[in-house]
Amino acid sequence: MLRKYLFLLLFVLVLVACSDDDASSKPSDGEETETETSSEPADPFGAYEETLTIAIGQEVDPSDTSLQDGDTPLDNQYTRHVKENLNIEVEHAFTASPSNYDQKVSLAIASNDLPDAMVVGPVELRQLVEADQIADLTEIYENYASPAIKEIIDSSDGVALENVTFDGKMMAIPNSQASADGVHNLWIRKDWLDNLGLEPPKTIEEFKEVARAFVEQDPDGNGQDDTIGLAGPDTSNKLYANFLESTNNLYGFDGIFSALHAYPGYWLEGDDGQPVYGSILPETKEALSVLRDMYSEGLIDPEMGVREDSGESVISGNTGMFFGPFWMPYGPITDAVTNNPEANWQSYALPLDANGEYTPHLSTTTTQFVVVRKDYEHPEAAMKILNNLLANESEFDPSIGGPGYYPLRLVYAPADEMEVTTVALREVLAGTKEPEDFYDMPAYKLLKSDVDTIHEVKLEPYDNMDIEYWDPEANLGQWTRAYSALVGTAPLVDNEINGVMSLIYSQTETMEDRWVNLKKLEDETFLKIIMGTEPLDSFDQFVENWKSQGGEQITEEVAEVVNQ
Amino acid sequence: MKSKGFAKHYYFMLIPGFIWLTLFSIVPMFGIMIAFQSYNPGAGVFGSEFVGLETFRYMFELSDTVNVFFNTIFIAIMKIIGNLIVPLVFALMLNEVRYLRLKRSIQTIVYLPHFLSWVILGGVLLDIFAYGGPINQMLGAFGIDPILFFGREDLFPFLVVGSDVWKEFGFNTIIYLAALTGINPALYEAAGIDGASRLRMLWHVTLPGIRTTAVLLAVLSLGNVLNAGFDQIFNLYNPLVYSTGDIIDTWVYRAGLLNLQYELATAVGLLKSVAGFILISLSYYLAYRFTNYRIF
Repeated sequence: MLRKYLFLLLFVLVLVACSDDDASSKPSDGEETETETSSEPADPFGAYEETLTIAIGQEVDPSDTSLQDGDTPLDNQYTRHVKENLNIEVEHAFTASPSNYDQKVSLAIASNDLPDAMVVGPVELRQLVEADQIADLTEIYENYASPAIKEIIDSSDGVALENVTFDGKMMAIPNSQASADGVHNLWIRKDWLDNLGLEPPKTIEEFKEVARAFVEQDPDGNGQDDTIGLAGPDTSNKLYANFLESTNNLYGFDGIFSALHAYPGYWLEGDDGQPVYGSILPETKEALSVLRDMYSEGLIDPEMGVREDSGESVISGNTGMFFGPFWMPYGPITDAVTNNPEANWQSYALPLDANGEYTPHLSTTTTQFVVVRKDYEHPEAAMKILNNLLANESEFDPSIGGPGYYPLRLVYAPADEMEVTTVALREVLAGTKEPEDFYDMPAYKLLKSDVDTIHEVKLEPYDNMDIEYWDPEANLGQWTRAYSALVGTAPLVDNEINGVMSLIYSQTETMEDRWVNLKKLEDETFLKIIMGTEPLDSFDQFVENWKSQGGEQITEEVAEVVNQ
Repeated sequence: MKSKGFAKHYYFMLIPGFIWLTLFSIVPMFGIMIAFQSYNPGAGVFGSEFVGLETFRYMFELSDTVNVFFNTIFIAIMKIIGNLIVPLVFALMLNEVRYLRLKRSIQTIVYLPHFLSWVILGGVLLDIFAYGGPINQMLGAFGIDPILFFGREDLFPFLVVGSDVWKEFGFNTIIYLAALTGINPALYEAAGIDGASRLRMLWHVTLPGIRTTAVLLAVLSLGNVLNAGFDQIFNLYNPLVYSTGDIIDTWVYRAGLLNLQYELATAVGLLKSVAGFILISLSYYLAYRFTNYRIF
């Protein structure tokens, strides 16, 4: 008997020992092969003599069907380009769909099994730095970043670098994106407005009237009670963009909050000059009560918060209004127009506040980062891949493989990219300038192809943007781009934007432990208040709980950061 | 001597199961240490700073903790009750069906949902109970306003329990049917001769005949009181119903893997394991008391 148990015990010990060996053998691998980083001269675009492999984490959208001719996420125009120009072979350490990518990254961090390089958000970046899992890229950036990337990053007034600098070391390569991503326009079915003889709503009151008419007066004329006034967030989107995720919130209520001067999720300057969290201010309560009334009157999608994808009802032609960034034509609007060529989605910088001004919240321009695993022998390879993208982006054809397939893709765009594109397209259409006038602006990497193709997709009259004066079928890819500029971005060009910035766009120390639960408290309370399952006054209880469960301490930390 | 040699290859057959148990259940147990640390994935379980019971203090401060434990136990107990009674009643009714082909086909049909994963069934259920889905259309025919079923925190636990029972009762029915065939037909004949009606036979022959099976199933399912079904709830819930639908497993998943709160997730998981261990010991004791079922 005893011997048998001893045998079992021994067996267990052997297994445990084996698995430990496994774990400890990894770092030593890295040490053995550490070589030649310094021996090579710093050339941002130099190809490696021997093929270098880099294993990355990559987002792959399963619904993206753009790859052609047997191309795969690992073998396409982008990876071949990287191989030819840099002699770098890209491999996948993991792939994940857009909605699961963050989870996959979290898992890689938790199990300390990182790919050689990957794209992460600000929360994960902080976690990686704390855990000492990623490489210091200060010198890599100095020596290997291409002048074009440095120029764009410098144009952000140091914001981009600030976000990746920890204890004076640059721990990641930041992106820098167009500021238009952070403004959430009002998108309306203008054909519905016309059917009912209405104007785009200027004030919150008019906004409610339009929503009511869309719900009750059968704007699509199909005789059925099947229309939604205002779309609401689905399970993967938020009620409003917040300081950590300040861009690209789809179907939220950003426009309504900001028209009422409520900026939940943002750090604002209080009356006493000290930082205060927007979600706990009385303006937010006021805005919630407006939304609550709208929901109970049926003006907002009754299925908000439960839907998997609010875009579906935009595509199917049931939704009349929603809030979203300029690029919504890249989202559901393409399909909506393909389904129904008369779906005239137009975009407005509305509704306005009580003084008639447009006061949206604005985003930071840096939201994504490329990190490189500590001990990876060739950290500069990641930098070279990024250099290569910015230098050659216009060579790629998005219709045979979407830009998301570029390995480690970070967006590098001048902050005013979309606004410049919109103005340029208008000037070309008006005939005041020729396409050639815009050829010499390399930082605006897609501008040349934009001005060259605008006449293919835009029909006369050139100053009327209604959908009937476009020809999406001529070149769907270019139509998407041009419509995003001339319709989606136009409100940002034509209106004065009195935007509000958050005081910070990154986490403080206490947030690492407490923020998730505070955020959950906030999200649940607000969602329930709007949907009427909790009374409006539960807001006051929320404020108290928020303060006592770490919010007060966090506010002090934010004040420290801001007053530095 | 002879019997010892005979036993040896039985022990060898245990090896695959044993390896599995070691790799997936015993080795990961060292991870419990994370609950007492300020865990740093870069430094690993053995290199992170020890902070004692700090995480547990924070855990009990959170209103969520009590909430998810209550939800878990409530949903799990309802599931256990539903999964005992519904199959039992159904098996008894099916047992009375004399037309064998019909009996077999019904048995197979109700068994089918058991083989579908919750990922698929979750999508199907969400659509059936959607705002404009078939259920609401039927209610509409009676003049009832559409109900947002999966957005109602008061309804959510019952939808979860109901759909779980619907999915699994076919499987449990088969166990009862097997037990029913084990009853000696002579007992029915004897009861018939004594003039017992169908109902009397059910009461005095059938039910006592499967009593042991029923009690055993009930007692063994006690060990699952803290497993309310991650797959199912994960595929059905949304932030609106967290207050009544969030269970320990989904909460730990979100805290640990989505929000990188390793310590907190581990602490809650550990608490669950301790409570689960007590319940399994208890159910083992009860199984021994009532049905003489024993492993050791």
